[in-house]
Amino acid sequence: MAFTRDEAVARARADLAGRLGLAEKEIADESVADADFSDANFGASRADEMSAQMITPGWRITLRAGGQVYEYRANRNRLRLFNFNGANHRVV
Amino acid sequence: MNRNNLFGHLALAVALVILAAFIGQMRHMQWRTHDKPVERGKTEQTAEPAGDKEDGDEAEGTDDQDKDEDDAEVLVRFRAGTSPEAIDRITAQLNDRVEDRFEQIASEEMVIADEDNLDAEEVAAEYRALPEVLYAEPNGQIELEPGEDAVDGGPGLRPDYVAGADHAHPSDPMFDDQWSLDNHGTRGGTQNADISALKAWEKTHGSEKIVVAVLDTGVDYTHRDLINNIWTRPANMPAYIDKELGAFDDTHGFDASDMDGDPMDDNGHGTHCAGIVGAEGDNNDGIAGVNWHVEIMPLKFLNANGSGSVKDAIECINYAIARKKAGVNIRIISASWGSTMYSRALEDAIKRAGEEDILFVAAAGNSSTDNDRRPHYPSSYALPNVLSVAALTRRDELASFSNWGLKSVHVAAPGAEILSTWPDNQYEEHSGTSMATPEVSGVAALVLALNPNMPVKDLRERLINATDKLPALSGKVASGGRINAARAVKAE
Repeated sequence: MAFTRDEAVARARADLAGRLGLAEKEIADESVADADFSDANFGASRADEMSAQMITPGWRITLRAGGQVYEYRANRNRLRLFNFNGANHRVV
Repeated sequence: MNRNNLFGHLALAVALVILAAFIGQMRHMQWRTHDKPVERGKTEQTAEPAGDKEDGDEAEGTDDQDKDEDDAEVLVRFRAGTSPEAIDRITAQLNDRVEDRFEQIASEEMVIADEDNLDAEEVAAEYRALPEVLYAEPNGQIELEPGEDAVDGGPGLRPDYVAGADHAHPSDPMFDDQWSLDNHGTRGGTQNADISALKAWEKTHGSEKIVVAVLDTGVDYTHRDLINNIWTRPANMPAYIDKELGAFDDTHGFDASDMDGDPMDDNGHGTHCAGIVGAEGDNNDGIAGVNWHVEIMPLKFLNANGSGSVKDAIECINYAIARKKAGVNIRIISASWGSTMYSRALEDAIKRAGEEDILFVAAAGNSSTDNDRRPHYPSSYALPNVLSVAALTRRDELASFSNWGLKSVHVAAPGAEILSTWPDNQYEEHSGTSMATPEVSGVAALVLALNPNMPVKDLRERLINATDKLPALSGKVASGGRINAARAVKAE
């Protein structure tokens, strides 16, 4: 199911709150910007994934919690968490 | 009224009727002249010289037919994507009108008639100055199609189909936007910053005897620009049998992500890559592939999101090897994907493909990094059948996203803003080393069309040596150059 940019941000915030064990109100939006990612997995492939090497447009979402900045990458269909504790994660 | 007056009036009436009949006959003859079919590329002025107007109505400009004949005509080719509304707006602004559209050649190509008494060259100059226009020339100077009687290869065969023709320019209406094949310097590009496809096509347009496996998101094998170049399992070849899962009806290839025999593309990426390798050329439709004729075997392991597992990639490679052993002439696997994860199993599978004389062409990756320092797989496997490909812009620059590697990236090819096929009979422009890879796979297939028994080691060496050295690639890729199809097929 396709979602909007705002919905992608909301999903990212909910996902991060769950991972950190925080309330969503403790997650602050840092920035949301259009971005061209390096591949179909937004440059955020998991260890076991191969990805089509085509430039893929989407949104770079940065959130702040507990003094740390976290980066999500998304488009209308998918959402990934980039480099969280050294690994990439597929959210949607 | 007296008797003399009566005869006078009758004589005058008869004279008027005869005069009216004479004028009517002249008009009728004139219409018949207009009815004659006009050959494409000639204006109607040749059928009836300008100035031969017959009566006052025409001189006043109320007869549209004669007005057409006096107006200067130019043949204008708008750039692909220019909408009919935009074309109408442009012609109206220039006080012109669209006289004829050549839909069968390209919806953007048409004859435009001037309505403000400029000569044809002046009108053409007006259009050439517009950014939406690819070219504009006075009608009659451009030969839209070769004459049917000027054929080298026999009746009904277009001269462009004949390898060895001086000009191998295909009829595909979007060809002028395929800068990777023939770069005119448009859209900020550098003229001739391309793979020299036109020159290569003087020697070969490819061969349906060469099978290129596109290992990707699948291929829309029903796309009208691909359908004639898609591999079909021969009737006498049994369906593929997986040791664990049994038989698959692999009519057009294999899908490891769903473990079935239907490699239909649900993403678009694989269809795009397939079109670069071998969209049917010179078919008056869409684009031309590097190969006009080839067999593309769709192999799907990337899902609808363009993501896939190493395991499924290996399944597909094993399928290709099995089909090669069964007699399918798979000589190239085109792999526009990757990651930084090393897999010995994947490396071994590719090595086994090499032992079956299959070249594995792989994307160098899009992370703007040095693969010699941070390898990207499968392109960084140091195997004798792996060829790693970086991406170039239309200005012969290494694309900003492209990986490089003096030792581990071998050649570069056009990979930015590449127009190709997309599912549902669409066409899209995309960028990436994904797009550069099938350019090289396509050139490899052209080489094999002329040298079907060339071993993979020699094929790889031929490709690496068939490059145009570029300053932008010095110290960046092993060959230091952009792949040159003409040099690869020894057309220059």
